[in-house]
Amino acid sequence: MNVIEINHLTKYYGKHRGIEDVSFSVADGEIFGFIGPNGSGKSTTIRTLLSLIYPTSGTATIFGKDCIKYGKEIRQHIGYLPSEVFYYENMKVIDVLKYSASFYEHVNLRRIETLAGTLDLDLHKRIDDLSYGNKKKVGIVQGLLHEPKLIILDEPTSGLDPLMQQKFFELIQNENKKGATVLFSSHILTEVQKMCARVAIIKDGTIIKVENIHNLRENNYKKFTLEFKGPLNLSCFKFDGITNMSQDEKTLHFLFRGDINKVISSLQGQVLQNMLVEEPTLEEIFIHYYQKED
Amino acid sequence: MNILTQELKMEWKSLVVWCISLISVLLFFMLMYPSISAQMADFQKVFNSFPIEFQRALGVENLNIGNVLGYYTFTMTYILLAGAVQAMNLGVSVLSSEVRDKTGDFLFVKPVSRRRIISMKMLAVFIQIVITNAAFFIASWLILTMISSTSFDTNLFILLTGTLFFIQIFFASFGFFISVFLRRIKTVLPISMGVVFLFYIIFLLNETLKDVKLGYISPFDYFALSAISKNMSYDSVYLVLWTFLVFLFVYLTFHVFGKKDLPSI
Repeated sequence: MNVIEINHLTKYYGKHRGIEDVSFSVADGEIFGFIGPNGSGKSTTIRTLLSLIYPTSGTATIFGKDCIKYGKEIRQHIGYLPSEVFYYENMKVIDVLKYSASFYEHVNLRRIETLAGTLDLDLHKRIDDLSYGNKKKVGIVQGLLHEPKLIILDEPTSGLDPLMQQKFFELIQNENKKGATVLFSSHILTEVQKMCARVAIIKDGTIIKVENIHNLRENNYKKFTLEFKGPLNLSCFKFDGITNMSQDEKTLHFLFRGDINKVISSLQGQVLQNMLVEEPTLEEIFIHYYQKED
Repeated sequence: MNILTQELKMEWKSLVVWCISLISVLLFFMLMYPSISAQMADFQKVFNSFPIEFQRALGVENLNIGNVLGYYTFTMTYILLAGAVQAMNLGVSVLSSEVRDKTGDFLFVKPVSRRRIISMKMLAVFIQIVITNAAFFIASWLILTMISSTSFDTNLFILLTGTLFFIQIFFASFGFFISVFLRRIKTVLPISMGVVFLFYIIFLLNETLKDVKLGYISPFDYFALSAISKNMSYDSVYLVLWTFLVFLFVYLTFHVFGKKDLPSI
């Protein structure tokens, strides 16, 4: 069963494009990555799912129900953590969290303390006395306190130090093990790589690809770094499968996809100082995707 | 209920300040009454020497300060002005504050419908207006009883004091209506001051022009204190118009805000 299903979702802000013809689905129990550069439409998609904004055309369903029409019921089971968090400045942390809890049915208030304990958050400070990172922690607690079935994270890690990020990821993974589905939007690929099984890649408001992280990496891209002793002969490397070629002085970098023997044979007779063959990072693979579009 | 309590919790301090201010203004004016009434004839002469337009603008035409209610009417003009600003502030800020303080991403993703949020917030404003009026009514009754040596017409007192409620309800609902059209409201006070004074200037202008059509524009005309004192009742046409406009503004607020895209942070 799919928890989220997005069908040809389009949103225009006046004439300005938000997203165009976005379709993908997130299955029950998975951690789904949503990757794209800033301004590519990640937040627009998420804000539509939460019915903060209304689509120009297309539909989205969550738990099998239309996300606009049944927004109220659906949101009972959604936990949302935006990239930037703002709360009522004059309130104490505990009061904000209790206010948040008051909207949901069957909330265990002890959970607030447990979560705050895990994240090392002082519940009795006023919101306007909190640092940005601590406000973010309030965001995490209020997003998780009602044990949502679907967790939507929009660039969640900004403002959290690496230690907290680690704890945060553990929290999310725990919720996931207990059955929660997670939609994780980010422009930082390494964190998506760590967490997600599948990703949708969005650019300029349209989905470029939905793929298994595993497949992406298994796409047989290899990253070559060749350091030459003698003069560099570029003409040997003009065949299909080579991309992202760049060169500085005597070093040549490129990504290669295909039969590795082709590269080996083209190296015959060349004098090398050093040679590295690596797995490319997702960043490099994605840059490749983006460039293909241009 | 939780939204309502939250609103009232956040607003109670400002509500107390407004109530105290309104009552203080009244007290300040009314404390001068004994000395003014002692030299009544001189004051009347001074006012009468003003050009008629100016008298109307000041609200002292047909002023009978020989009577405590006559003087109270003169004071109420300024109370209404302040009360209108308070109500307009409430109306403009109650919905827009979630966008201005960027807390919209908190409140509007909760399992609660937009309509419910709007109605709870409107109810919170209504309650604050009721409290303001109750406090003002009691205080003004006490002050008038204390200051006046003779008894005064209770009916007229209720009619005059009641205008505050009607004016406030009007400006609050107009505030809701305005706030849903403005994309991002940085500060509320300039908007409410601007709108209230604009309407007040229209009212003053009309006090001299006495144009019937112009009278429909400004809510201050609907509850013109001089007319109420003369007729001992509210104008029924204006009351109908008031009801219609308040309902229209509230309806449009629901309609527009219900479908509005909430700007991202």
